[in-house]
Amino acid sequence: MSSRAADVIPAADRRSPDRPTPDLATSDLPAARTARRGAAAVLLDGVLKRFGTVTALEETRLRVEQGEFLTLLGPSGCGKTTLLNLMAGFLEADAGEILIGGEQVTATPPYERQIGIVFQNYALFPHMSVARNVGYGLRMRGVPKREIAARVEETLALVKLQGFADRSPRQLSGGQQQRVALARALVIRPRVLLLDEPFSALDKNLRGAMQVELKEIQRRLGVTTVFVTHDQGEALSLSDRIVVMSAGRIRQVGTPDEVYRHPQDRFVAGFIGDVNTLPARLETLSGVRATVALGDLRREVEAAALRDRPPGSPVDVFVRPDHLGVRPAGEGGTLPARVAALVYQGSHIDLHADLATGERVVVRVPGQGALATHAPGTAIGLAVPQGGLVAFPPE
Amino acid sequence: MTPAIRRRPFLPLFVVPAALVAIAITAGLAAILRFSLHAYVPGSLDVGGFTLDNFADLARPIVLRAMRDTVLICFETALATLILGYPVAYALVRTRSALLKSVILVTAVTPLFLGEVVRTYAWTVVLGNSGFINATLRQFGLIDRPIQFMFTEFGVVVALVHVTLPVMVIMLAAALAHIDRDYEKAAQSLGAGPVRAFLTVTLPLSMPGVVAGFTTAFAWTFSAFATPQVIGGGKVGVVSTLVYQLGLSSFNFPVAASLSLAGLGLALGTMWAVRRAARPLEAMGGH
Repeated sequence: MSSRAADVIPAADRRSPDRPTPDLATSDLPAARTARRGAAAVLLDGVLKRFGTVTALEETRLRVEQGEFLTLLGPSGCGKTTLLNLMAGFLEADAGEILIGGEQVTATPPYERQIGIVFQNYALFPHMSVARNVGYGLRMRGVPKREIAARVEETLALVKLQGFADRSPRQLSGGQQQRVALARALVIRPRVLLLDEPFSALDKNLRGAMQVELKEIQRRLGVTTVFVTHDQGEALSLSDRIVVMSAGRIRQVGTPDEVYRHPQDRFVAGFIGDVNTLPARLETLSGVRATVALGDLRREVEAAALRDRPPGSPVDVFVRPDHLGVRPAGEGGTLPARVAALVYQGSHIDLHADLATGERVVVRVPGQGALATHAPGTAIGLAVPQGGLVAFPPE
Repeated sequence: MTPAIRRRPFLPLFVVPAALVAIAITAGLAAILRFSLHAYVPGSLDVGGFTLDNFADLARPIVLRAMRDTVLICFETALATLILGYPVAYALVRTRSALLKSVILVTAVTPLFLGEVVRTYAWTVVLGNSGFINATLRQFGLIDRPIQFMFTEFGVVVALVHVTLPVMVIMLAAALAHIDRDYEKAAQSLGAGPVRAFLTVTLPLSMPGVVAGFTTAFAWTFSAFATPQVIGGGKVGVVSTLVYQLGLSSFNFPVAASLSLAGLGLALGTMWAVRRAARPLEAMGGH
């Protein structure tokens, strides 16, 4: 389906190989994109940012491919906004280099970087009409008036806001304001489009519609996009690749499917999607697989994260709520548990159960049947899948 | 709205101080109005019968010149304060350095606590013929004879600017603080350098604050008394000092009262005109 891409600097080129840098060279890109050779849209090479004594962004390497939709995902304070501001030029890196389209921009001020930004609050100029907002970047570039008018109109059509040119931003709904902000950033034909949590101010229904639209526009224009969010759902549904960050560090770079199904560390496993943590014991390590004991059950997991652990040491197994199953109590190959609560979620039921060892787990049961058959207090057997499990050493 | 929200039991309590002030001001104005409508009896503090002559008296050249000079001085002061105060307010709001912020606050705002009279006397030390400026210039041999600052309109404006600056800085800072920094960032990301971003975005958005600061500085200066009295030394006639001369040197309360009212009318009229003229500017702010 997709091929491995050399999306980061080869490990040999790294300046400090002793540094515990996460392995970034594991990301897939659609084949069409990797075929396109040439300079990266954005390249961060050993970029580091401190605020006083706090390191907001540890030495970071990241390559954003031309035309790619890349998401910086992480909780607040993880460094994703710092990274965005470094790309935009609003912050100066304390070390390292930033290249946009192969051009050195480390010391270039934001107004010469040719980037488009959509701010969280849109930052539409309240004293200008929609058309003047969208045309602002062209006026600053000294584009002839007639061309400005044509390009503004064309871009407003792109974001489906024909007929809104003379409105004031204040007369627009949140979704319309966001379209104007997007048009204003796109009209200058930016080398990179930066989006700083653009959907956080929209209500849930509108958010979904805007996400689809953004993705369509991005695909149509082929504009390289770096999207910052703390919402893993957004990241999974929009991105070509996701950069998972925490505590000023990149934890993993990969396609949505990779970070979802093959998290490389504990943080990624816990942050992307809902997940249960089951205590287990490492039994054997053989090559890329390891066997762990979950109570009386034996399960195989990826060994990478457990390599330096001795057999018998405790590990945590991560399993998604929709991968667990509910069976009658005492059935072979299950963990004994007791139903604690049932939470109706519409298309499914979240069944909260307590294991015999005391842990609380959530099982996603499709349909509504469980409501009638598994009243709180019922003893059940918890079925743990054979595959798709990942395990990490306890914290 | 539910009745529970509409009922605000503390409201009358809050209105009391304002009502007391309003009553006192109304009473004072009423007394002045009464004086202004009665004849001046030379040699007496009592007044004669009802008359409108006091207002006719105001048409004298000395009074008209004082009115013109007052408006001019107020304009000059408000403008100079605005030009000096804007960068200070901007730096105060936008600097990331806590030290610079404190320095600006202390230097720009503490003069407020000194009172007009103290600050004005400080300026006599600076502006006098053997004051700081003249002494320094003479030290370096730049001048032979002292430059006359005291008792000139220029000297009065300089001192008034200092007196008015804190209020201007506070008002402009309040307006600038409300302008989201993201506007400037957005402008920069769209290709505007810092100067153009300021001129096309921040400055227009701060216009409501500029207009408010200007009119406040104008009114503040209009009512100034100690500064034109001490720095002007009787040579610079403004409405407030003329009222003082008429009332407390000539004891002509009726004409002083009519001049007070005329001055009030002039101040309100000019400020109304200023605000009207500034309406398009304020609209730029888009608030």
